[in-house]
Amino acid sequence: MSSSLLRPPSHLPPATALHNSQQAPNILNNSPGAVSTSVIQSLLSTSESQELWTTYENLLLSLLRTGDDDSAHLCLARLAKRFGDDNERVMALKGLIKEADANDTATLEIILKEYDQILQDNPTNLPIVKRRVALLRSMGRTPESITALISLLDVSPTDAEAWAELADLYFSQGLYSQAIFALEEVLVLQPNAWNVHARLGEMLLMASKTSDAPRHLAEALKRFSRSIELCDDYLRGYYGLKLTTTQLLSEPQKASKQTEPDELAVPSSATVQKLDEAATEKLAEIVRRHTAGERDWQGYEEAEITAARELLEKASEKTVR
Amino acid sequence: MARLPVQTIQRDPQLFYWILFPITVVMVLTGILRHYATVLMATSPKKLDQKTMREQRSMLHGVATRSNFHVLSGPSFRARRDYLTNAYETGAFLKSPDQRGQPPPNPMTDPGAMDGMMGMMKNNMAMMIPNTLIMSWINAFFSGFVIIKLPFPITVKFKSMLQAGVATREMDPRWMSSISWYFLCIFGLQSVFNFLLGSDNAASQMAQQMGGMGPQAGAQMFGPGVDPDKQFKIETENLAVVEHYSVLDGVEDRLLEGIMSK
Amino acid sequence: MPTEREFQIAPIVPESVMHNTKALSNLQNLTASIFGAAAGILGLESYSGFLFYLVFTVLTTVLFYAIRVAPTSLKAGHATFDTSRFFRTQYEFWAGGLFGGLAGYILTWTLFYGLVRA
Repeated sequence: MSSSLLRPPSHLPPATALHNSQQAPNILNNSPGAVSTSVIQSLLSTSESQELWTTYENLLLSLLRTGDDDSAHLCLARLAKRFGDDNERVMALKGLIKEADANDTATLEIILKEYDQILQDNPTNLPIVKRRVALLRSMGRTPESITALISLLDVSPTDAEAWAELADLYFSQGLYSQAIFALEEVLVLQPNAWNVHARLGEMLLMASKTSDAPRHLAEALKRFSRSIELCDDYLRGYYGLKLTTTQLLSEPQKASKQTEPDELAVPSSATVQKLDEAATEKLAEIVRRHTAGERDWQGYEEAEITAARELLEKASEKTVR
Repeated sequence: MARLPVQTIQRDPQLFYWILFPITVVMVLTGILRHYATVLMATSPKKLDQKTMREQRSMLHGVATRSNFHVLSGPSFRARRDYLTNAYETGAFLKSPDQRGQPPPNPMTDPGAMDGMMGMMKNNMAMMIPNTLIMSWINAFFSGFVIIKLPFPITVKFKSMLQAGVATREMDPRWMSSISWYFLCIFGLQSVFNFLLGSDNAASQMAQQMGGMGPQAGAQMFGPGVDPDKQFKIETENLAVVEHYSVLDGVEDRLLEGIMSK
Repeated sequence: MPTEREFQIAPIVPESVMHNTKALSNLQNLTASIFGAAAGILGLESYSGFLFYLVFTVLTTVLFYAIRVAPTSLKAGHATFDTSRFFRTQYEFWAGGLFGGLAGYILTWTLFYGLVRA
């Protein structure tokens, strides 16, 4: 069984998701459909493991992504048989499949009503609350979805996933300072998530374009640095660091502007210069080694590598000129 | 001083088949049974209603903010601290704001609290009952048999422990009766269980040791008889004394140092 | 001794720590039981039995260090016999096995000694 099936598929590249769902017939045939009620049979058959059900859940998601709805229904049926129809996660998965089956907005409206009904009976059914938020978002009703998320976070402020989603929603609305606040909450709950550090850096970088306060740029620089410190071959971290340093170097008057005593100060231009060089070097190394097909350097996404290569080319053009 | 001749005792090999093996096998099986019984008896986490969940998670949120303050920059930490302190002091997160200041209900009469205690009781019972049963079983059937000899000499002090039920004064303390084999099994079989029951057996022990930050801590914090209002007050004080610094301070210098030194 | 702040800057992942500790203790338990069986079959008594255990446990630990720990740890710039890349305390790695496996060793030693010398 491939190990990528034990991870949630939303972060897997499409090719892997397709590969996963192509394994579906195999897995569905080989694994026990449900735990048998007979004691003797359960002693003889292979024991169920936690991984099996994680595999089913992730396989279900992969199948929906690749459009194999029949197998997805089979997965759901097995999960429901094992955990019961009123299990919260099974309920959410069921809703997800219904959403995938729906063809028009009217059907989606009905599903939304069903969610509301479930939530009236049991307001702490968090998976359903999250599905409702996602459904509202996919129907294009972002403000409502934000309201729903905020009320969820009021009840459960330790849910990092919800905070991350809220940040994404705010970001899509262009509300940078709210998005930054939400991402900081994610970091409070998961202090060592380097990808969140880098993501926060990206948002700060965007926010710095709209206001000319230097503190956003300074913090972005520090966030990217922290991200690299935690994970020293994280491409997005280096990419963001390179962007930030380029911007700081191209606008020295902005960088040297006096900051409030309380805020994070922009480091000296010599430091920025050095960071810029280091980031360029590392980016070039990653691109070179990935393209050369070295075995340990294949974990990056193609799109990110391409973007990094373009950034490097642009930078080198500038120096040649 | 002349060495004492080594005592030899003629033992019937049937002793092995009818005492040593049954005791060992029963011990191993009981261990496995106990493991699965604990798994089965583990109560699923109780459903919380919305307000209780809000109260508990707000509390945990404060704890998270206090312990991970280092990821935030100064102004954003202070904003959060002000908000949380204010909300804690006004009791905005409390399940029932009207009951502030009243003494908490007696845990013995609170049905919710009984659940938690039952869980602890069950765990203790799962340890106690099999051990008592096996010991009385061994005492009833196998007492008075000398079954095995320790491969190393020990002092006479151990005689009463190892030869319980065998009243022979002159016998070498190295000879063991069946009940002492049982005790040896209790101590020595832990490693066997680690293999038979897989790593999660070891993991659960580890988790108990490391339990400082896990859900167990949370369960204790909201255990019966604790006044949430007081908890919030304590957390307010904890937040107030945090001396803020950030990991972002000087991160670029650390990074450059790290890159240069490579 | 690292301060709290250094832990925050360079965090320790509890899952990895647990995995390493578990791997080590599994190895120690297994080898202790096997050594017990070996000592029992060889019919070792008193001091020679304990000496056997000591020598072979130390040998296992050294082999474990040489095969699993040393290649990556030396490359990462740690001194020889420094296990801090994978384990939090040196004691846990070098001496933990001696005491952790002793009970299992005595059990199997006694059992096999009794069976062989019956």
